[in-house]
Amino acid sequence: MPAGSERAVVELRGVSKEYMRDKIRVPVLSNTNLDIPHGDFVAVMGPSGSGKSTLLNLAAGLDRPTTGTVTVAGTELNQLSESKLTRWRSQHLGFIFQLYNLMPVLTAFENVELPLLLTSLSRRQRAEHVETALRIVGLQERMDHFPRQLSGGQEQRVAIARALVNDPVLLLADEPTGNLDAAAAQEIMDLLQQLNEEFEKTIVMVTHDPRAARRARRMLHLEKGTFVETELDALEAAG
Amino acid sequence: MKFLPYILRNVQRNKLRSVFTGLSIAVSLFLVTVLYAYVNMQDEMGEGALKYARVVCTAKQGLTFPVPIAHVDKVKGMEGVKTVVPLAWFGGKYKDDKIPFAQFATDPDHCFEVFAEFTVPPDQLSNFQKDRTGCIVGEKIARKRQWKVGDKIVLKGDIYPVNLELTIDGIYTGPAGSDLEMLFYDYTYLDELLKQSRSQMAGNAGTMFIKAQTPEMMPDLMQRINARFANSEAPVRAMTEQAFRQMFTEMLGNIRVFIRNIAIIVVAALVCVAGNAMAMSLRERTREVAVLKAIGFSRFIVLTLVLIEAIVIAVIGGFLGVMAARLLFQFTDMSMIGIPGFSSFYVPVSTMLFSMLLAAAIGLASGIIPAWRAAQVSVVDGLRKVV
Repeated sequence: MPAGSERAVVELRGVSKEYMRDKIRVPVLSNTNLDIPHGDFVAVMGPSGSGKSTLLNLAAGLDRPTTGTVTVAGTELNQLSESKLTRWRSQHLGFIFQLYNLMPVLTAFENVELPLLLTSLSRRQRAEHVETALRIVGLQERMDHFPRQLSGGQEQRVAIARALVNDPVLLLADEPTGNLDAAAAQEIMDLLQQLNEEFEKTIVMVTHDPRAARRARRMLHLEKGTFVETELDALEAAG
Repeated sequence: MKFLPYILRNVQRNKLRSVFTGLSIAVSLFLVTVLYAYVNMQDEMGEGALKYARVVCTAKQGLTFPVPIAHVDKVKGMEGVKTVVPLAWFGGKYKDDKIPFAQFATDPDHCFEVFAEFTVPPDQLSNFQKDRTGCIVGEKIARKRQWKVGDKIVLKGDIYPVNLELTIDGIYTGPAGSDLEMLFYDYTYLDELLKQSRSQMAGNAGTMFIKAQTPEMMPDLMQRINARFANSEAPVRAMTEQAFRQMFTEMLGNIRVFIRNIAIIVVAALVCVAGNAMAMSLRERTREVAVLKAIGFSRFIVLTLVLIEAIVIAVIGGFLGVMAARLLFQFTDMSMIGIPGFSSFYVPVSTMLFSMLLAAAIGLASGIIPAWRAAQVSVVDGLRKVV
């Protein structure tokens, strides 16, 4: 398993996660170790129920491991209280969801501004940040549009701008192309690749789509809660 | 403040639901406002009357018993009394009226000294004082019935077995909120007619209105008046004008308790209605709440956002109801209702403020459970939820 890097943004050490369903213990991750260094772009693949989303939730501090430790950007998430974890997320993480999860009542500008409302930035400073984020995703012309007035691809780009706007250490993407057609998916992956290469954003992406996974620097394969790393070259070779 | 646009957008999210929730609050608070306004108006007018230093004197047995007119002169001579007038409710019908307006037999020479808030042009007052069958009417009733100075009117006696043929000698005006729908005429004219018809009601008045020299002298004066007639054939009960007004209110029963109970029921029902609407709204937004929490919105912020949203809806509804009550009674002739004290009905500002606070409290109470539940939404479960 890929562990041991000194400058890892995400470090999982001996992480196990079990859920209780109707008094039955269901193991999802078992004794998992993982290092994701700064600037990495990791695609996590695997069948349904393999633990992909659980891994993302643990890295985001949305869920706590049954055993082991999760350290992100130098902070051991297990040590943080619920409220500190929430604040930590607002400062260090950016989320990209499969269903975009934009607020339908807010414009693109207002959606991107949401995370900044939790900061002490002035209105003018917030506007500058939002415009920059929307410019990066190529939607500065549509900042006054509501989600319903945008295509799926555009909605996802707004969601990426929202994830970017507070300049997070880590971007977590859960099936970012899962709801898009091929062309829009291509655009989104171009954008994520650009964020990784130009802006050195560390990205962890869960996907079912091999084409999307190929755009990452490396791919991790989860099978029944255990990692199997596959180099992209090997994947290419495997066809 | 920076969250306000988001809150306001959420208020408008499901317009129909927000409108109906707001309207249910508006209608209910209209009712509560009117009920409380009736009580508060009596209190406010009573408190306002304190500065006029008036003591009202009725028969000890109650308002339906007469006060002998001879008492007026006896009170006039007491220390601390500036002036006294009798006030006898005539209750006559004008033309086809079904409900009588307020008509009082009084002393023309001193009536407007006691009711100093009313203004009558000096020439009209002088004519009234010289004319035994003259009367002075309020500006509002004169305008409504298109009466002018010099007009002759006939009031058919209902309580008293006589009819009054009166000439309008003048029209009085007064400050906002004062009763400008009364008619004052000479007591001696009524008494003369009663004596002619050999009525046993002659020589009596319903009440005495006493103007004290200063408001501070009123408590002592009331005690002395009560004591002065305690052993007479017609004992009296002296009270402040505020207490006198309250007596009218209490004629309708223990109206304060009644109104409070209605208000409690209305508020409880509203909290359920608004709370249900809020809960439905939040249930549809579980995923959005989860997203907010995922990107860093704390439980406290989520809870606060939902509570403010509930309060905004309730306050908008409350404002509509309160303003509807205020404007309706400002532009509607309430004298036709025939309930004592309603002829000059208005909604006091204090009642409006109370109702607005009540609306905010309804919003707060209705939002507490949905807000608490929203704050507790698990991000992982919430994100999985597909509405």
